[in-house]
Amino acid sequence: MPEAPAQPHTIESFERLLKPVLGPAYGTALQFARNAADAEELVQDASVQSFKAFHSFTPGTNFRAWFFRILTNLAIYRFRQRKRRPEAVGLEEIPDNVLWEEAKRAGPSEDPASVVIGRLDQARVSEALDALPEEFQVVCVLYFMDEFSYQEIAEILEVPIGTVRSRLHRGRKLLQRSLAEMAREHGIDESEDAR
Amino acid sequence: MKELSPLTCKEVFARLQDYVDRELTESDVQGVERHLELCGHCAKRFQFEESVLRELKEKLRRIQAPEGLAERVHRALESVDLS
Repeated sequence: MPEAPAQPHTIESFERLLKPVLGPAYGTALQFARNAADAEELVQDASVQSFKAFHSFTPGTNFRAWFFRILTNLAIYRFRQRKRRPEAVGLEEIPDNVLWEEAKRAGPSEDPASVVIGRLDQARVSEALDALPEEFQVVCVLYFMDEFSYQEIAEILEVPIGTVRSRLHRGRKLLQRSLAEMAREHGIDESEDAR
Repeated sequence: MKELSPLTCKEVFARLQDYVDRELTESDVQGVERHLELCGHCAKRFQFEESVLRELKEKLRRIQAPEGLAERVHRALESVDLS
């Protein structure tokens, strides 16, 4: 099988691939870094690291996943210290229907999910995601924010696809519990303000 | 071809997240969809989960990259020594 032509190692050829990825990369970096200055530094450093390693990127393959692997590894290394210790609660103790039950409490609606999550702004949702234990947060960020498939996430994190599925399901369960609690508090706050 | 036995609500619920994520096998997709056509309760639950996913993605992806980020990255790349 003929080898793919070598990737010209120029800023121009690199930036052509980087340009559509830069915006989403910044959003993801901000989720990990929690402030704009650190997020921008993370994106710049990931870009520099990727450019240095650009000779190892195979043309025609998934540049976005390749770049995000570098970005994610850098983020995990850099912000690991900041993370709180993971919750000790067993996930089996959290019912599967927490957000669904909260939506039913909100009353009948054409779109109950919109009613519940609609109470929460972007900052609160981001906060709930940030509160997840690291191994769940990383998978959830790559899935919800960047819409990578399970297979792509497995390649980015270099773990089996079954691990991705398991972490995403468990992360989602914890996330839904946080969102249900936040939505309930916000709903209560709103009804008190209305009196 | 052997007809697959229909999935129960419990079996559909166990597959729901993967179905919403479009990560199920073809035969499982068919089983879930057949069930959702017939079971109003599961169909509502599927619509809810799909809506949750859509709402979360929309809220989390509203972040805009700051003005000038591409230029600053470009300057950083120009200072890289590849020798």
